[in-house]
Amino acid sequence: MSGAAQETAPAGAPAAAAGRQGSVFTQGRLLLGLGLAMLAAMLVVTILAPLIAPYSPSATSPDSLAPASAGHLLGTDSIGRDVLSRLIVGGRTTLLITVTAVLIALVAGLILGLAAGYLGGLVDEIIMRALDVIFAFPVLLLAIAVVAALGPTVPNLILTIAIVYTPAMARVVRAPVLSVKQWDHVEAARSIGMSEMRLVLRHILPIVVSPILVATSLTLSQTIFTVTALSFLGLGPPPPDPNWGGMLSEARQFMELAPLTVIGPAAAIVFATLTFIIIANGLREVLDVGSVR
Amino acid sequence: MTRFVLGRLAWMAAILLGVSLVAFVLMRAIPGDFAIAAAGSQRVAPEVLAAIRRDLGIDQPLTAQYLSWLGHALTGDLGTSFVTRRPVLGELLSRLAVTFQLTFVAAIIATLMGLATGLAAARLRGVTDWLVRLWNGLMLAVPNYVVATLIVLLCGLYFPEITVLGYTPFLENPLANIGSLLLPGLALALAVSVTIAENMRAAVLEVASQDFVMVGRAKGLGRGAILRDYLVRNALTPVITAAGLKIAALLGGSILVETIFAIPGMGQYLFDSINSRDYPVIQAIVLVAAGIVVLVNTAIDIAYARVDARVQM
Repeated sequence: MSGAAQETAPAGAPAAAAGRQGSVFTQGRLLLGLGLAMLAAMLVVTILAPLIAPYSPSATSPDSLAPASAGHLLGTDSIGRDVLSRLIVGGRTTLLITVTAVLIALVAGLILGLAAGYLGGLVDEIIMRALDVIFAFPVLLLAIAVVAALGPTVPNLILTIAIVYTPAMARVVRAPVLSVKQWDHVEAARSIGMSEMRLVLRHILPIVVSPILVATSLTLSQTIFTVTALSFLGLGPPPPDPNWGGMLSEARQFMELAPLTVIGPAAAIVFATLTFIIIANGLREVLDVGSVR
Repeated sequence: MTRFVLGRLAWMAAILLGVSLVAFVLMRAIPGDFAIAAAGSQRVAPEVLAAIRRDLGIDQPLTAQYLSWLGHALTGDLGTSFVTRRPVLGELLSRLAVTFQLTFVAAIIATLMGLATGLAAARLRGVTDWLVRLWNGLMLAVPNYVVATLIVLLCGLYFPEITVLGYTPFLENPLANIGSLLLPGLALALAVSVTIAENMRAAVLEVASQDFVMVGRAKGLGRGAILRDYLVRNALTPVITAAGLKIAALLGGSILVETIFAIPGMGQYLFDSINSRDYPVIQAIVLVAAGIVVLVNTAIDIAYARVDARVQM
């Protein structure tokens, strides 16, 4: 759709750039390390959520809209539930939907992009034109329409997000495949009679790995945005399970009385988004991938 | 050029057709009986349901339904709201006007902020550059509805005398109208201004390293003249393209911001329709909003091709 020509990602050997500046701690590695550390922290908290959370996320208490205290580090919400516990447990729902959906979009995009780029011709036309129609919708608008039609359940949310982000993934995969398939080593492999399947797996797929890694982490950050935005609009996973977008939206009514009820989920959303953006930027420099989008 | 434009327009028509198909299929995919949704209640006499089916044409085959719906949409009949029982088009147009206004205010704020910070980062370098880039990096991670919520929170806490929520129509009080759009505009603008600033910074750095700037400096042109006539002018073309694409995306982004600031635009209309399961309205908004984005993108493509001779035609 965009007029600006999409750069064909240079398919350089991974890690070729790592030692470029002589030091182990190039900016890219530093960023990647920071991002991965943030991701690890998030994963540990998410996986161990029931053990870490000081209270049950749905346990109410008469002490509503309480400020931060030793008993409730982030205070309580309008019906006396512990905000910190809800944040910790709510991350599970939000991150589960995000990660599963992006993985599905990744696999679908990989298959469609490889098929379109490698087979070319009519297959390419049909796949890319169909995806262009999905691409024409603003992401959030399409997601809202699909969830509103199908109903807000966790599987539907995952399916929706996967549909919405598949075209972008397919585009990222297709561009390098188009150029790589004409390279000499692919031609050579074909001329010695290598099967098509093996050719794609051995010689085409590895070239796509770097750009797809960067695109995946960028998509993860955008998906956090979309998932929490849907929950914010009331199209998130159904209650009583907490989730970050829903918490932010519920808290708005009384936020001036208990600012932490808003600041908590807002900070969690920003932290998660930032994590994936930092990883994407780190990966881009370490893997020496040009601009992916 | 003519061929390029015609090709683009034909392509646009094809995409719009696809968009309409998606909008149609989605609203037929809702679980349960569409007629019951239209009646607004489970307890309706079977004769009434049959009448509603006939009215809405649901008893026809799907292709006939789609063609008839598309035909009506093309002539401006976007259906009737389940809730108000009035045509969707009139309400949608007045909402759209508000959203356009908000988008316009946001675009101006984003452009001013983006150009200023991008230029400052590229010319001053050093600490300014570092701060601008840090700010940009952070802002990319803050969704616009979080910005909007935090703005409302901060204003409520520290400036309780300011009315933050709500909207004043332009004809009623032009000044109050712009005032009521400033904060939501800012919330929408931040992410876009980051893109503009990054593009501006890169473009100015790129231009500044070229020979003709050195020549200008060597022949004794003042800093102001070089900045104005050489740097900004030459840097602007790529920035405008990037900004155009981003501003088109603002339309989608305004859904949440309008809801938070109680601005009666298309986004809030969509939000309300979702809550009341007003499917014809949801369908109409999806169709119109996606249509606008397709139109704007096509316009940008064509404008870009006119400006930049290198674009393949």
